[in-house]
Formats: sequence, C-alpha cells, structure tokens
Amino acid sequence: MPQPPLRHPGNHNNAMKTLIAIKEQHQSWVRDAFPNMHPLLLPLCNKPFIEYLIDFAILAGSREIRLLSDGSLMEIEEICQTGSRWGVELTYANIRPEDGERELLHKNRKFCNGSRTMILNGYTFIDYDKRLDYRVLANHSATGPIASCSTGSIAFAGSPEPAADDNPLPALRITPLDSLRSCYHIAMQILETGAERYVLPGYGSEPGCAIGRNVAIAKTAEIRKPVSIGNNVQLLPGTIIGPMAVIGSNVIIDKGSSISGSIIFDNTYIGEQLEIEGRIASGNTLIDPESGASVAMEDPHLLTGIHSATNSATLLRKTIHALAAAILILLQAIPVIILYPLLRLQGKWKNGPITQQAGLAETLAARLSLDRFPLLPKVLLGQLAIIGSAPRSNSPGCRPAVFSYAEAEDWPVTGSDAAIVERYHAVHSTPFNDIGMTIKALINRPHKRNAGAAA
Amino acid sequence: MTITETTGSTHTIVTICGTLDASTAPDFRNSPAIADPSRTVVIDLDKMDFLDSSGLGALVGVLRRKQEANATILLSCMNPPVRKVFDITGTCKLFHIFDDTDAANDYAATYLRGR
Repeated sequence: MPQPPLRHPGNHNNAMKTLIAIKEQHQSWVRDAFPNMHPLLLPLCNKPFIEYLIDFAILAGSREIRLLSDGSLMEIEEICQTGSRWGVELTYANIRPEDGERELLHKNRKFCNGSRTMILNGYTFIDYDKRLDYRVLANHSATGPIASCSTGSIAFAGSPEPAADDNPLPALRITPLDSLRSCYHIAMQILETGAERYVLPGYGSEPGCAIGRNVAIAKTAEIRKPVSIGNNVQLLPGTIIGPMAVIGSNVIIDKGSSISGSIIFDNTYIGEQLEIEGRIASGNTLIDPESGASVAMEDPHLLTGIHSATNSATLLRKTIHALAAAILILLQAIPVIILYPLLRLQGKWKNGPITQQAGLAETLAARLSLDRFPLLPKVLLGQLAIIGSAPRSNSPGCRPAVFSYAEAEDWPVTGSDAAIVERYHAVHSTPFNDIGMTIKALINRPHKRNAGAAA
Repeated sequence: MTITETTGSTHTIVTICGTLDASTAPDFRNSPAIADPSRTVVIDLDKMDFLDSSGLGALVGVLRRKQEANATILLSCMNPPVRKVFDITGTCKLFHIFDDTDAANDYAATYLRGR
C-alpha cells in the first residue's frame, strides 16, 4: 500500500522545520576509531548515520532541514547536497561547541521563521518506526524536550497544535551513540528489525536479507539471515555470511571464511579460512566492540584495507612538488656542502631550524632555508609535499610538507591559527599555486625570523 | 569593497560589500569600529562575494584583539561560498554565526550585555 505523502497541512512557510545539531565532543570516539570517516557518515547497517536523522525529520513532517555542527560539514554537503534526493530542502550552518538549544534557535532565527521546529541535538540514534506517523508527535508535543539521553535530546520549539483526544502520540526512544559498543549493538538491532522499521539500502527478495549492487556470490557461498551486504562485494567459494552479519561496500571475503555477529566496514579484505564472530573489521584492524580492544593485522593475507588508486590530480601535484624539490636540491646543494660542515662543527646547526644568526654563515644558511634541505628528498619519494602543513603534522586533512602555508602567508606559524591557513590552502591551492606559495615561504621565512629576533 | 558602519549604543553593525582579500584587508582593519578593540561588532556578510585566506586572517586577527578587550565579532547572513571558507578552516568555531542580522543584533544587545 503506498505511503501517504509527508506533507504538512497549511501554509508552507509555517510547515514543520528541523534543526539537526551535532557537536564534535560527542563524536570524538568515531574520529579516534575511524580517522578517515566523517562521524555523520558512520554506517549503521550500511546506511550512514545522518540519513537516519534525515529520515526521521521527514517522518515528522519536515520539508526544510538544517544541519548544524561545530566541525566541518563540507564532506556531508558534498554527499547530501541540497536534500533533493529526499524531496526536502537541506541547508547547512555552523555553531559553536558551547551553544545550547536557545542559541541554536537564535542563530537560525531566519530559518525557523516562527514555525514549529524540531531540534535533534546530539549524537544519538532515534529508534523510530517508519510505519508510524510522527507528524502527530511533532505537531502536538509540548514545547521543550520530549526525549533525552546522555549524548543528546529531541526537543520542540514553537506553539503546538491542540491535540485531539483520539490521537495517541507514538512513543520515541533515543539511544546514545557514544562508543564502538553502542555502534555495534545499534547496528545489530537494526539488522534484526530493519526492513519493518527503517528504510535500509539494498535489495532483498525475502525479509532479513538486503543485498546491494554488483555483489558476486560464489555457488558454494552460504548466506544465513539476517544479513546486510553493501555494493561491490565478492563472496568467494565456501564463505559463510551470517547470521547477524553486516558487510559494507567494496569488501572481499576470501575462500572458506565465516562472518557472524560481526560488522565488516567498507574497503576491507578478509583473508582465507578466517572465522570472525562478534567483531568489527575495518581495513586491517579487528576490533572487539565490547572491550574496545583492537589489533592491527600486519599480514595483508589475513586482513587489509582496499585502497582506491591514486587519482590524476594527486599524481600531478606530487609530480610538480617533486620537480620543485629537485630544483631546490640542486640550488641548495652547494651552499649545504660548504656551510653544513662548518656550522655543524660549531654546534650551530643541529636537527631543526637554525636559531643563532650572529655570524655570516648562519645568516646565509637561514636566508637560504638550508635547515629544510634534509626534508627535500622525502618530497622526491612522495612522503612529504613541498608546501602544505608544518613538517610532521599528522592532523586529518593536513598535508605534511617541507614548507607550510602559514610561513608563506602573513600568519603565525604555530598553534591553531596556522592550522586555519593550512586547511584553507589544502582545499583551494592548485599544484601551480603551490610553487608560488613555496617561493613566498622561502622569501618570508628569513624575514619572519629577523622580525622575531628583533622583537 | 565598501564598508558601511551603523553605530548603536552597545555595538556597531558593519556591512561589507564585495571582496575581502589581501588588497582590501588593510581597509577593513582600519575602519573605525573594527580598529576599536573594545567595540563589539556585528558583521553583515550578505553582500560579501569572496573571502580568501588574507581576508580570513584579518577577521581572525581582529577577533583576537577584540576578545582581549572583552568585546567580540558576530557574523551574520553568510552566503554558502563564504560559509565554506569558515567551514574548511575550522574558524566557524571561533565566531558566533547567525543567519539573520536582526538576530545577531538582538544577541549583541541582550546576551553580550550580561558579560
């Protein structure tokens, strides 16, 4: 039977709206466990977490949804875009970590526009049921929180409509998503009840079995319900999948292995003759969700990550950086051969920047940035960029490099302000711009050092 | 870039129209309400069409100086390209950002008065 359209009665401008606010403090455990995954894209039974929140907002009658975070939303914006795939208008805004519900409403006053607004605040899983009509709940619940847990709440702002006596409000339960353990248990719970309660990805001719696109299943492979299998998966001969198994996308399960009560995250290879039970596997890491203990497999035949090939833009950048490094090596080689032994013997050039600039040799070495010379061969090997973040910086999204963008620009070279300019250029700078920025860094570094010495 | 200032009793609304980059950042820094570290300002970015790292550096530098003097900057009406710059650089955490200048105005007049 077709579902009724989720349209709010009355004027569109006064229709229900939803603010989804997620703060980094609640999702830091995801960053620790899966550094390359945006926490809002954490898959729960092969469906990104954010999609559960969007689905619930739609079930509650929202046509306009705004996603708020004190962290970056760029990756989410690229995936969810304007929300047209859900038939809603999705917008994005930033908040501060300390903002409460009052501030959220104040900072998004134009969006809320006096309408009834639902605030989904925090990193929590909403245990909804798609068969229930949450528009009743959204329209008639009193202003204020209606459900809360340790990591968030659901609240309403704006005047409710008077409730009719024969309209019972559906119960709603929210579960904190605060650890690998909760992530595992929520995924298993969804797997058990998914088809009935949630909109899950994948095809299934029978309940409890959802299979994605381009899944190759060997004749002797066995699938025991309930299971959820993503896209581009290979199940080789003799494998046993399930019961209670979530297999992500781009996964290979090699011959004779069995997976039960476990989650295999995207881009993971599981070797031959392995038995995985009650675990989470991600890349080459195997995690016990109950204790949080993890082990990174050294042997790529057992467990390993499946990496996509380097794209052409990255290759172009690496090539240009390597050429720039080669030119710098040629230019700096003779000064280094002359000055390095001299300064080394005097104890003025150890590992790190040349700090003393009293004599001619030190001044010359500093002006030519010879202290960065030992790092240049790493650019040729592709281990460092010529310009990016400060050397040895390993923050997510940063590109460790010989020279930093902060040195090239008029910014402090250390602390959080340096990270701002480095992140800006990591996104906006082209490989050819990088050459210009490297020259700027070479010019600005001695200038800054002199300014610092003068101060 | 053109800068318009509307001064109230507790704070000033600064409207920036055009581009805030290396060439216009000095003008921005020297405008009266921005140069006064003790003055809280609401910056209306509705008509700002481009912001680069130098412009962002100017905003962050001014915010730091104002915070030292117990004042602040509130930003309002960011368009998506400008918001993206704040998003990728993580500077969104430093500023109070509003989708409406009147809301920012009220916030400056009421909430910040209690500081």
